[in-house]
Parts: sequence; C-alpha cells; structure tokens
Amino acid sequence: MEFEEYVSARGQELVRLGFTVSGDYQRAEDLAQIALMQAFRSWRKVRKADDPHHYVRRILINSYLSMARRRSFTEAPTAEIDPQHTVPDPANDIANSDDLWRALAELSARERVVLVLRYYQDLDDRTIADVLGIKPSSVRATASRALATLRKTRHSNRVDERLS
Amino acid sequence: MSTTDLEDDLRGTFDRAAASVPPATGLTERATTGARLAQRRTWIVSGAAAVGVAAVAVVGFGLAGSDRPAQPPVAGGQAPASTTPAPQPPTVQSVSGTWRAVQIAGLKSLKASRPDDPVLALRPDGTWGGSDGCNTLQGTYAIGQRGEFTAVIGPQRLVGCDNVPHTGVLQAANRIAADADTLQFFAPDGRELARYARAR
Repeated sequence: MEFEEYVSARGQELVRLGFTVSGDYQRAEDLAQIALMQAFRSWRKVRKADDPHHYVRRILINSYLSMARRRSFTEAPTAEIDPQHTVPDPANDIANSDDLWRALAELSARERVVLVLRYYQDLDDRTIADVLGIKPSSVRATASRALATLRKTRHSNRVDERLS
Repeated sequence: MSTTDLEDDLRGTFDRAAASVPPATGLTERATTGARLAQRRTWIVSGAAAVGVAAVAVVGFGLAGSDRPAQPPVAGGQAPASTTPAPQPPTVQSVSGTWRAVQIAGLKSLKASRPDDPVLALRPDGTWGGSDGCNTLQGTYAIGQRGEFTAVIGPQRLVGCDNVPHTGVLQAANRIAADADTLQFFAPDGRELARYARAR
C-alpha cells in the first residue's frame, strides 16, 4: 500500500481518534499530521508491518501522551483571543449536549486514552497494553479507575443540576 | 448506573464525537511536506558537518605540510588585538535549550497572560519548536560557521491571541549570537531583533 492510499483510506480516522483522545479539533489535526509525518519518513518499514494502521495509531497516541506531559499543554481561554481568528470547534457542541463528554475532561490523559482505545477503537486490553507499552493488568486498573471517576463525576453533576 | 450502562454510554459518546469531526483536507500533502522539510534539514546539517570536516582537514594538512613554524590563525587579515580568546560562534549544540523572549523589537506585551508558555526550544538536531502562547510552533534551523542563521517555519495553527512572534524573529534574522544564558537575533542591517534568556 502506498502512503497516499493509506492516508486517503485512514487519515480521517486518525483525526477522529485524535479528537476523541484530546477533545480539541485543532489538536486532533496536529496529532494526525505528526503521526502521518513520522510514518511517511519510515514508510517502507511501516508498510511491511502486519498492521500499518496499528503502527501509525501508536505514534498518534504516544504523541498525545507526550504533549499531555508537557507543562505547556494545558490551555485556558483568555480574554485576548481574537474571535476573528478562532476556528469553530465541534467539541463545544458535544460539551453542551453530552455530560459524559464533559466528565471525560476530568480524567488524566492516560485514563482517557485507555477508555478511547477500549470503547471507541474496540481494542482488547492486550493490544492497548502494546500501544501504550504497559502491562495488560495496568490497562485494566487504569480503565477501572477511570470508569469509577466518570461514574462519580456524572453522579455529582446530576445532583448539581437537580439542585440548581 | 451499572458499569455496562456506562460502557454503552461511552461508546455512544465517542461515536458521536468522532462523527462530529469535519473532514480534514490536505493530510497527505501536509504530512509529506513536513517530512521533506525535516529531511532537507538533515541534508543541511550533514552538508555543514562535511564542510566543517573538510575545513579542519585542509587546515591540518596545511600546518603539517609547512616547514615554517605554525602561525596562530588570523581573522580577517588582522592580527589578534589581545590574548583574550574571541567568543566562539554559536552552533546548534551551544544554542540548544529552551529560551524565553525578554525583548523583541516593536513588542511591548511580553508579559501578557497566554494559554501556553511562550518559549522557543532550539534542539541540537536542527529542529526548533515551542509556542507563541497559543499555537504550537515547529520548524528547522541552521547556523553557519560565522553565526549566519536561517530558519524554515513548519506547519502551525493560526489561533489568534497575544502571540509572541517567534516565527517573525526567526524568519527575519540572518545572524545569531549566544553565550551561556543569552541568545540574540540580528537583522541583515545589524539591528538586534530579539533577545532571549535561557529558561532551561
């Protein structure tokens, strides 16, 4: 498979994966671009892999986790942002209509990635462990902790809504 | 709520989120252009290294083949004015690190609040990165033997805020000077464009 064929078949899928893990459309495009750039540079090796998409997906996920570890990753809205230059972000619509999407923002980057790989990408724990370079038992523990946090956050949000 | 219900809801949320993503355009072009820029940077660095090795070899052969006593190197045809060692021109290794702008020509708002830490990171492999305060920046750069500076600006977002114009500095600069804690960029007319302090 040529690189161009791969991008036209799976490129949009990578952007979607970037969006589900980061919750930010611009960052999703950046992540897809970083993953594709790295894959392009060693495409001969990537295309020989059993599953090239698994290889590229791993680059994307680990790029996201590296970004998240950096101190400058956290973005906060400021009054100085020029509305003429901002780009509409689909995350705003989802955040306004889906309490679970909002609750996902409370999770750590790794917890969110594990849930995305498990419930969006439908990967088993062994494959997730391979993507993240950790043990399957760590994947199970991370997923369990993340689900407990989500349950708790969702419950307290609903109580707040009822009281307001 | 049972775990199964929560898991089903998660699947639905992720599917809706993924479906809301608008089609990305030009992914192939952006990926291949970015990779080629990085490849070109490798050639520039390799070429500079080859020129450096050749220069050292020529000087070495010249000194070894001469019957006269070895002369100290003379810069610009002039004898050194003092025995104080001249400052070494910067290299990609010596400027490697994270830098924070302390002065940029024409900019008064360096201390404004921004979503990201507006630092400039120069790496020893000839790539640079960082943030202008609200966009991730990247590209490649090269430093000549006398401090000549060139930079290539990579793909970046264009979110507007009180941006620190690192890219403008890098594009306008044609010479760089540095010591351990200070980095200076100069315009072709010799004017100082920006001064940075080492952050880490």
